[in-house]
Amino acid sequence: MQFLAPDTVEEALRLLSDRGDLRVLAGGTDVMIQRMTGQLPRSESLLYIGGLADLRGVSRSNGMIRIGALTTHRDLRCDRTIVTHLPSFAEAAATVGGWQTQAVGTIGGNLCNASPAADLAPPILVADATMVVSAADAPMRIPADRFFVDRRRTALPAGQILLEIEVPAPPEDTWESYLKVGRRGAMEVALVGLAARFSMVGNRITTARLAVCSVAPTPRRLRHAEEALTGSTLDEEAAAEAARRATEEVDPIDDQRATATYRRMLVGRLIRKAARLARQSLEIR
Amino acid sequence: MTQELSMEVNGIRRTVEVAGDEVLLDTLRDRLYLTGTKRGCDEGECGACTVIVDGAPVHSCIFPALAAEGAEVRTVEGLAGSAGRLNPLQRAFVDQAAVQCGFCTPGFLMTLTALLETNSSASDCEVDDAIAGNICRCTGYTAIRAAVRSLVREGGA
Repeated sequence: MQFLAPDTVEEALRLLSDRGDLRVLAGGTDVMIQRMTGQLPRSESLLYIGGLADLRGVSRSNGMIRIGALTTHRDLRCDRTIVTHLPSFAEAAATVGGWQTQAVGTIGGNLCNASPAADLAPPILVADATMVVSAADAPMRIPADRFFVDRRRTALPAGQILLEIEVPAPPEDTWESYLKVGRRGAMEVALVGLAARFSMVGNRITTARLAVCSVAPTPRRLRHAEEALTGSTLDEEAAAEAARRATEEVDPIDDQRATATYRRMLVGRLIRKAARLARQSLEIR
Repeated sequence: MTQELSMEVNGIRRTVEVAGDEVLLDTLRDRLYLTGTKRGCDEGECGACTVIVDGAPVHSCIFPALAAEGAEVRTVEGLAGSAGRLNPLQRAFVDQAAVQCGFCTPGFLMTLTALLETNSSASDCEVDDAIAGNICRCTGYTAIRAAVRSLVREGGA
């Protein structure tokens, strides 16, 4: 096997199209472990893109926030634009491993790995993000809710890489958060992760968005639960109905971390918690 | 097949031949004989293998060695001054009895070095957040936190 470290995005894409045996490597916090544990073949050569500065960083223009695919979790949790406008991204990034993981792990790696527990997936789903992906001519755009195809499978075409994530800046009077339950506070894979976003006009919720990880083969939106909150004041009754619907929308499994029953219960609890927090924060009466 | 890796380790330029998918921990321990960095869980969970790469703490057990090409790498061997004089953080660990079996200590020292260099007045809460990726099974974390606090109080970090 070989370790290839191209200096530019163009060179990386050329190498990818020339050779069929390359595994794209960003921070490596997932891929290296998968290689060591035999989930990925060690014969594969590595295409290390982690050093491509062009794909790292956050920018904002024309109501659009752009997050380079190689922006690290540490970058996200410290970036002013993200903390101010997309706090669920910062909160999710802050729950990925410890500092050592956050310093090298990237948002693009987290999303392209497509673990059912990917912490950054629920935030991009509630933010109506667009995945900007390399293509032969012009970059291709994939809506976030079509990106996750199956457990560890994405809509990213073979031989292409994720370039950036494009997120519309949220409207005024929007609250969003990422709530995660693990067995302990730090260094934990989510038993359930929930991103919630509520936008309000007057005293009513005009847009409700809920997305979860760790309760199905892919991260997913909870559209029926969202509908129960749209037009509401995030009152207890609406939240309880959303929670009830959500438990029917998820498809968790029993594994070494938790039972399906417990996960289903957590989804409902987290939705009610999110509604309560948002109601306080948005000062809905 | 090996590939050439050139990096600065504790201020000294080192060039070594490494395997394509070698992790930095193996390069440091088995090729450069810097065995102060410990192999604990070997899967990026426990933090015993923490070293600093270009200012950031990383788990060297899962960090691709060749990703350190051209980088500045610091290990626990680089902390003490001449004639093995302990630096203030190491001294504080001794004074506060923040060491028991010692296996996790190099990792804690490196994570906390990275923290104190960016935030010399770190609060307990910031310390806790910084060391979330380092596990100690002997002392617990109180003495380690006290060591940092003694430095922050003295302004000697």
